[in-house]
Amino acid sequence: MQSLLAAAKSDPNIILITGDLGYGVIDQFAEELPKQFINSGISEQAMMGMAAGMASQGKRVFVYSIGNFPTLRCLEQIRNDVCAMNNSVVIVSVGAGYSYGSQGYTHHAIEDIAVMRSLPNLEILLPSDSEEVRVITEYLCSSRNPAYLRLGKDGEPLIHSPNSIKFDRSPYKVVDGDDCAILTAGSIANEAISAARNLTTKGIYTSIFLVPSIEGLTKAFLSELSSFSLLVSLEEHSPVGGLGSAILERLNSFGFSTRLELIAADQSDLSVVGSQAYLRDLKGISSKHVEARIEAILS
Amino acid sequence: MISDTDVARGVLLAQRARKSILEMTHRAQVSHVASALSVVDILAAIYARPSAPKNHTLNDLDREIVILSKGHSAAALYAVLSELDFFPRDWLAEYCNDSARLGGHVTSKDVPGVELSTGSLGHGLPYGLGVALSRKISNVMSPVVVVISDGECNEGTTWESALIANRFKLDNLIVVIDRNRIQSLDLTENTIPLEPLGEKWKSFGWQVSEIDGHSIAEIQLALETRNTCKVLIANTIKGKGVSFMENSVKWHYKPPTDQELELALLEVLGIED
Repeated sequence: MQSLLAAAKSDPNIILITGDLGYGVIDQFAEELPKQFINSGISEQAMMGMAAGMASQGKRVFVYSIGNFPTLRCLEQIRNDVCAMNNSVVIVSVGAGYSYGSQGYTHHAIEDIAVMRSLPNLEILLPSDSEEVRVITEYLCSSRNPAYLRLGKDGEPLIHSPNSIKFDRSPYKVVDGDDCAILTAGSIANEAISAARNLTTKGIYTSIFLVPSIEGLTKAFLSELSSFSLLVSLEEHSPVGGLGSAILERLNSFGFSTRLELIAADQSDLSVVGSQAYLRDLKGISSKHVEARIEAILS
Repeated sequence: MISDTDVARGVLLAQRARKSILEMTHRAQVSHVASALSVVDILAAIYARPSAPKNHTLNDLDREIVILSKGHSAAALYAVLSELDFFPRDWLAEYCNDSARLGGHVTSKDVPGVELSTGSLGHGLPYGLGVALSRKISNVMSPVVVVISDGECNEGTTWESALIANRFKLDNLIVVIDRNRIQSLDLTENTIPLEPLGEKWKSFGWQVSEIDGHSIAEIQLALETRNTCKVLIANTIKGKGVSFMENSVKWHYKPPTDQELELALLEVLGIED
């Protein structure tokens, strides 16, 4: 939000619209730049159509809400008015995966990547920590592409050192090892990092790549991974259509035969609630599960 | 101020467009002829005004913006725009063909003069609201005119937009409702009753005017005054201008046969005499 505020101060065409959410997060922006801030109330569909209309007049519009509200609730407005018209709107959703786990299935954002990824002209951005959020936000403020920015909740551990990264869509290698490579995105990356650490004690050395952009899964990048006998994808999302699915599609279309073990959230019980840590464990995507699945394959 | 010339220009534009609409829907054998005939006077009246967008103002940031939200009446918009030389008239002859520029619902891609592709109802008003709000912020004065169907008053986004526009007291947004009282399967009042429609808009903070949606002069006059949150309920007849198409649910779907086209053209051209 600080990056957005800084950019908006020097660019009056940057507009922030909230669907009546963001208590404690958007206040400073609203106070300092009231002319660039709009609370459109609890009306996601009109909000998204309105954002597209504003963008058609040269504005760079950031639409902020939580969970599935700025994505699934207004899907057709995104499809027709933002993507098909190529309007300069950034959809920002806070609460990836089970960030709001205790609030119930309505608040579990676990199908959004699949749905957003199927839309034309929409760039999908999946930062893993606040450093990635910062560099991606800087990029988004200077770009005019329609984009979907999937955020966790604030306060997750920092993975990158401060000011150590740039954003050019390429994945970031944050752990180095030769036995397998985990590709992940979002704060779930921390589960991969714990798993890799534990696997080291068992003599299994894992690389970890953070994938901040689906578009960054290029042929060049994936060909670098062909030295690994095993790839693992880990995401806080349904197994259908998410990160793992995107990797598989690309491996196949580029003709790579590397094995991919897809680790994603089990969707068999929708009604269960609990903390993010509890649900990650229950849904088979915590470090414990990652560790066990890699160990079972490699040992 | 509107002049007699603007009115006369609108009347002529509507008559020519009616002929095109009949020929287009007949040749392509596609639906929605009656919807197009219902809205065509509204579009002709809008575009015949001196302040309306022209083919040479399409890149002007302060051009008036017209959005046809009821995208199924695309034939009417295309017919009007081609009469005004936004694009060549022979594009109309390809309407709905394989790889035609002009599809059955309003498309903006590579079609000069069309601001927004529509076809799913309830999209035009939020979009137009965003255009108006953006212009307000940037002190661009020219208005946004959004033409919606009465059926679109079933859509939640219509009322969401009505609430939001009132919040921002937009005086650069004009909504025109093509009130032909027929929606897809039945009369609007037999489907989801809208009346008292004007009272509903009033209660949302809008200035409501009821006008004859087939009177070019009344439409142009109503567009002149600048009010906060202005909605024009334009009473229309679905299928207007062709007696056997008027006020009939059937002609929401049915394309004219050769013989029906002939009869319809006689009526439309008869009006011209």
